[in-house]
Amino acid sequence: MLGIRRISNSRWWHKKKNWLFFAIFLFLVFVRISKGAFYKDFYYFISKPFWPGQFQKEIVLESIDQEYLIKLNLLTKDNIRLRQILSLQESSSDKHISAAVISRKTGSWWRQIILNKGSKDGVEIGNIVIGPGGLLGRVKNTSLFTSSVTLITSPESKLGVWVDRIQINGLLVGLGDDYPSLILYSKDADIKVGDFVSSSPASTLLPPNIPIGIVQSIDETLKSKKTAKISLLAKPNVIDWVQILKVNI
Amino acid sequence: MGTNFESKYLMKKFLTKKLSTISFIFIPIIFLWHPNWLGFLGVQPYWPLFWLLPWSMINGSINGLIFGLFLGLILDSLTLNESFTQIPGLIFCGFLFGRIKLHSDILLGHFRYGLICSFGSFLCGTFYFLQILFRNFSDSNSLILIPSIKNILAEVFLTGFFAPFICSHLLRMFKFSRRKIQ
Repeated sequence: MLGIRRISNSRWWHKKKNWLFFAIFLFLVFVRISKGAFYKDFYYFISKPFWPGQFQKEIVLESIDQEYLIKLNLLTKDNIRLRQILSLQESSSDKHISAAVISRKTGSWWRQIILNKGSKDGVEIGNIVIGPGGLLGRVKNTSLFTSSVTLITSPESKLGVWVDRIQINGLLVGLGDDYPSLILYSKDADIKVGDFVSSSPASTLLPPNIPIGIVQSIDETLKSKKTAKISLLAKPNVIDWVQILKVNI
Repeated sequence: MGTNFESKYLMKKFLTKKLSTISFIFIPIIFLWHPNWLGFLGVQPYWPLFWLLPWSMINGSINGLIFGLFLGLILDSLTLNESFTQIPGLIFCGFLFGRIKLHSDILLGHFRYGLICSFGSFLCGTFYFLQILFRNFSDSNSLILIPSIKNILAEVFLTGFFAPFICSHLLRMFKFSRRKIQ
């Protein structure tokens, strides 16, 4: 009887150590099957205090900005070179005049701004005015010290523009509100909300590739043409400083 | 001391005499200034009517018509829209305002200024809108309709809102200056 008890005590499952090993084995199997998910999540929590902080983020963003600037410069150079080869219109990027907005009429019918640079500073009628974001309008009138700019939201403004995604020209018409209308003289044009609109390479008034706005909504009720409302990238009602581009088109 | 007093007196006399001219000069300045904090939906009140109403009420229709033309010429030269003009609306308003008789009831007069200016602003806005519509007849007829109605209504509201304050003050000033001259 005593002998039998001794035998049963010596079974492997009676030893805690064996169960411990078994548990570890099961855990490792679980880890294997879950492909280390548990480990990774565990690592997530214990490494959290040592993650790269705000400072590192700023460094990375600055590097990205620099990278973009270098890329932009290279692309601009490429663009100028290719335009010269193809004998296309080009904008002289080095003839910029900075000017402050001294009067602003951005509501109602009259949509214009007056700048503190005039014919004395070399501003001429027809010069292009851009602000942070893109195109604002064209110089319509100059005095000795000031120049008046017709905004692209003015009912008098009509410009040729380019929808890059679908590679099509359109007409941007000011309506006297903050959203000028893009008219595409083709019912089949596949324009979508969010499409980017820039100045047209075929325009006789503007240099090409100046950002203008983004399609906000599309109206397909007209029979022969499509129209779209454009949300401008440059906001004339808040911009205080602008650049006047002296262009020879 | 005597010279200083005399120059002050002359200055005061000049200001009183030329009050209407000085206030007239301020209209294009305010029109250009375009204070955003006074606006509604980005639209400003139609400033020239605030001056034209008291001027025409005191000086009559012909004077109102002539100064409506002058105001229109000045404001047209300040705006860049060469194809459209504010002259017809202002001439019509100047003539119309000259036909209105001064009212003895002060409170009623205040509200009347608001209503008359609102109506004048509506007329000027509609004249301007019709010109734009006529010009863009083939292009974007339907597109321009809604923003234009919004512009007209906002302008009518603001002009009517501010007119009782500004017009009654100007009217009192013009009357005072006229009495001094006489």
